[in-house]
Order: sequence, then C-alpha cells, then structure tokens
Amino acid sequence: MRTLSGRMPRRQARVAPSEHEPSGPLLRVEHVRLGYWTARQFTVAVEDVSFDVEAGERIIVIGPSGCGKSTLLKAIAGFIEPAGGLIQMAGRTSLAPGPDRAVVFQEFDQLFPWRSVLSNVAYPLRVNGHRRRAAIAKARQYLELTNLAHAADRYPHQLSGGMKQRVAIARALALDPTLLLMDEPFGSLDAITRQRLQTELNRIVEQTRVTLLFVTHSIEEALVLGDRIVVLGDAPSRVIATVDIRGLGGPETVEYSQMRGRLRELLAVDKEEVEEIGGLE
Amino acid sequence: MAVSSSAASIPRRPAAFGWARIPAIVRYPLVGAVLVAAWHYYAVHKGSLFMATPWQTVQEFWHGWRNGSLSEPTWATLRLLLEGIGIGAAIAAVLTAFATLSKIGEDALVLLTAVLNPLPGVAVLPIAMLLFGLNESAVRFVIANATIWPIAIAVSTGFKTANQTLVAVGRNVGLSRVRVITDVLAPAALPQAISGVRTAWAFGWRTIIAAELVFGVAGSSGGLGNYINNARQYFLTPQVFAGLLTIAILGVVFETLFGQLERRTVIRWGMKTS
Repeated sequence: MRTLSGRMPRRQARVAPSEHEPSGPLLRVEHVRLGYWTARQFTVAVEDVSFDVEAGERIIVIGPSGCGKSTLLKAIAGFIEPAGGLIQMAGRTSLAPGPDRAVVFQEFDQLFPWRSVLSNVAYPLRVNGHRRRAAIAKARQYLELTNLAHAADRYPHQLSGGMKQRVAIARALALDPTLLLMDEPFGSLDAITRQRLQTELNRIVEQTRVTLLFVTHSIEEALVLGDRIVVLGDAPSRVIATVDIRGLGGPETVEYSQMRGRLRELLAVDKEEVEEIGGLE
Repeated sequence: MAVSSSAASIPRRPAAFGWARIPAIVRYPLVGAVLVAAWHYYAVHKGSLFMATPWQTVQEFWHGWRNGSLSEPTWATLRLLLEGIGIGAAIAAVLTAFATLSKIGEDALVLLTAVLNPLPGVAVLPIAMLLFGLNESAVRFVIANATIWPIAIAVSTGFKTANQTLVAVGRNVGLSRVRVITDVLAPAALPQAISGVRTAWAFGWRTIIAAELVFGVAGSSGGLGNYINNARQYFLTPQVFAGLLTIAILGVVFETLFGQLERRTVIRWGMKTS
C-alpha cells in the first residue's frame, strides 16, 4: 500500500480544465487517483485510472475484491473527491452527488423502510420537482418496467432481496439519469436470482437506452451485461485492460469462452487465485 | 403417547405443567384477585385512617372523577406535563440537529447530556423557583429539563446509527443537508426517538408528581401531587389511594398509546420487531 502523508490531496481535484466539450464522451475519467484517510495516513486505493464512457454505452468495471472499484464509482457519483486526476461528466468537473448519476447500491437496505415501494420510487421524483400525481404515475410506470407493479403498496421489509434490488433499479431509472451507476447490485443475491436480474437488467437497459456503469467482480456478469469492460488490477489499482465485447456470441460460442479465459488471465495477473475470481460464476 | 400418522413429522408441543397450563386470560385476573385481597385485609387490619381498602379507593376514584375533585387536578398535571415534554422535545430536536450539522454542536450536546442527564428532575426545582417563582413556568422548566436529555441522547444515537446507505441515497437523489436530516435521518431514528420519548415521559411524570408533592406547585389549580398531599394532610386516605390509582391507570394508558404508535410506525415498517 502506498501512503501519502501530510499533504491534503483534496485540492488537486479542482485542478481541471474547464473547456466544455459537448461532443466529447459523456463521462471522462482521467488519471484518477483515489484513497481514504486512516488515522494519520492516506491509503491509496486507486492509483491511476482512465477511461471514457460514451452516451448509450454499457461499461463494466471489473476487478478483484478491494481494488477500489466501488471507491471509483463513489467518486463518479460525487461522494468522494479524487485525490488526483479528473472526473468530467458531460463537461462538468465539480461533481456533487445528484440524480443525473443515480446509484443502485449493493446493500438491500438502500430502500427507505418507512416508505412503501411506490413511495420509494415516487419520493425522489417529488424531491426533483415532480408534482405528486406526475411522480406517482411515473413511479408506477417504472415499477411496471421492473415487474413490480403488484408490490407497489408493500413495505421494503416485506420484499425479497431480489425485489428490493429491482425497486432500487426502478427508483434510479425513474430519475432519468444521464448515467446509471450500479455498485455490485446483484452481489448479495443467490445465483438463480442474480441470473434472472441480469437478464431483466439487459432488457430494461435496452428499453430505456440508459448509459450504464456497472461495477462487479464477476467475469460472467461482465460478459452478460457489458459493451466494454474496464479491467482493474489489485489495489492500488490501474487499468490493466479495456476490452470491447460488443458482438460477442453467447456463452456457447468459442469467442465467448476465449474472452472469458482472457479476462480470467488478466484478473489473475496480480493474484494467483484464479479460483476466487472465476469461481463466483 | 400415540403419534397420529398424518402428523408424524410435526413434533408434539411440550406439555405445560401446573400453573402455566392455565390460559393467561385467567392467570392474570387470579393473581390480581390475590393481590387485591391481600391489600384489602391489610387495609382492614391497619384501619381506614392509614390504609384505604380497594373498594373505598374505587369509590373515591369514581366520585372524584364525577365531581371533578380528582379529574381537574389530573388534567392540570397532564397539561403541564405535556407542555413541559413538548418544550423539552422541541429543544432536544434542535440540539440534535445542530449537533449533526456541526462539530461544536456535537461537543456541546455531549457535554450537556453528560452533566445534566444524571441530575434527578426535581433537583432543578429550587433553581426553577428562584428563576420563575412558585408557578407553572417553574414546573415547565423542570419537566423540560428532565425530558430534553433522554430524548436528545436517544435521537442522536438514532442519527449516529442510521444506515449510511440511506444517507447516501438521500444525497444521491438530490437532498440538501438539512433535508437529509428531516427526510432521512429523522425517520431512520424514529425507533430510538419513540423509546426516548417513552423514557422522557416516565421521567417527566415522576418529576412532576414529585415536584407537586414536595413543593405543592402546579399553578393556581393544583395538580395530582397536590391532591394526594392535601388528602394526606387531612387524613382523607381514600383520596390518597384514588390519586395513586389515577397515576397507575394513566401509566398503563400511555404505555398502550406508545405501543400503538410503535405498531403503526416502526413495527409496521419492519424497523423494530414487536
């Protein structure tokens, strides 16, 4: 672990070119360095990561556990300021958390327990200026999209884990995000439910044409959901490869298994535990 | 013991023995009857000057609530208590919100609760009387002081232990810092807040009765503590007991109300198991 002591790294984040490029990529991540303070030292989680996301793309960020991929997502969401480098979203660089980058978290308890399913989806719309009726109508529409219309009046504690994650997806999508951020949303689900939700997410993304940035440590999930895969190494992490998998055949094809093999190799570069990384599928 | 073949896989419920076999609806009245009988015989033995029998107590209670001699002091006490708790809860809410927004506020709250929470509520009464005189404001002050700290401690614990993912979601959907407090932290802390108010209620209730008993203050009308103390002075023992019965019944009533409130909110939302 590299450490940085004494110097507060927050300042650097503001050093960013302000030229507006409407024609550029939707999201630009340039030489981003991220970390966190423990007691008196700064621990680097992400050393130097760069990649672009074009509008309409589905980007998967994959990496071994603890490589800082969730930290990276939090930085893009605006919860953490980078210690270095630049995160530029639609030309803007000072990123406070906001609904244009709606997040679906891994935790099941990301729903407000005191609100019904419908209200969990409608409330953020109310916060963002929708009138009551419009918010409820739109919430219903997105609950239908995620096959949850029948559960609208239930409370979160009455739902299964998979249903909770679908509510969270509906809530995020209803906000019409420019970029949908997902932080291992299916990581705590059983294998069967996870697979079902992956299929469902693919359908939803296709229908809504939302730009997706999805963090995972599962190679299978990356291959099922992504257009491009950004592979991170061990912490403090760097991008070790960016792979375009558009037009890749299904799991039964040779290309697919070759790609899977390649990703396994890439992810095993720093660690010899191929099993751990690949075994989750 | 013959096991029926159709329910072979369901083990038999272990048989309860003796007292536990009697259903609760019978058990509690039975215990109650024994206690009331013991009270009755002790009262008869002691003489009606010092102990009222259960029947005398009930009669006096009924009488006092019909002609107002007991109901008026009870309402007076309840009104003052509610006002005091209202003031206390409002101050507690402001203090906790301030403590959440700034480090200085947090330090102030920690220090104040550490010093003032252990103080018995009535202990502040002499100061209150110096500040406000012998009137209702003094009582309100004392009740407010007795209730601020348990509520503030409970709510700030609730804020601190609130699910950070929910806070992140709140910020992500575009809530301001203040609205994160009102729309996310406050409901998230509701289980603790309710139990805080419950404790505050118990503290306030004890404090106001003690204040009235010892100092006789509760404004012009006089409260329940006053009523009991006056009755004692004139050896109207049944009235003393009727006053105590009122306090006990109100205790049960408010416990039930708090239970209802929890069932309709935090238990319904799965934030607390019943």
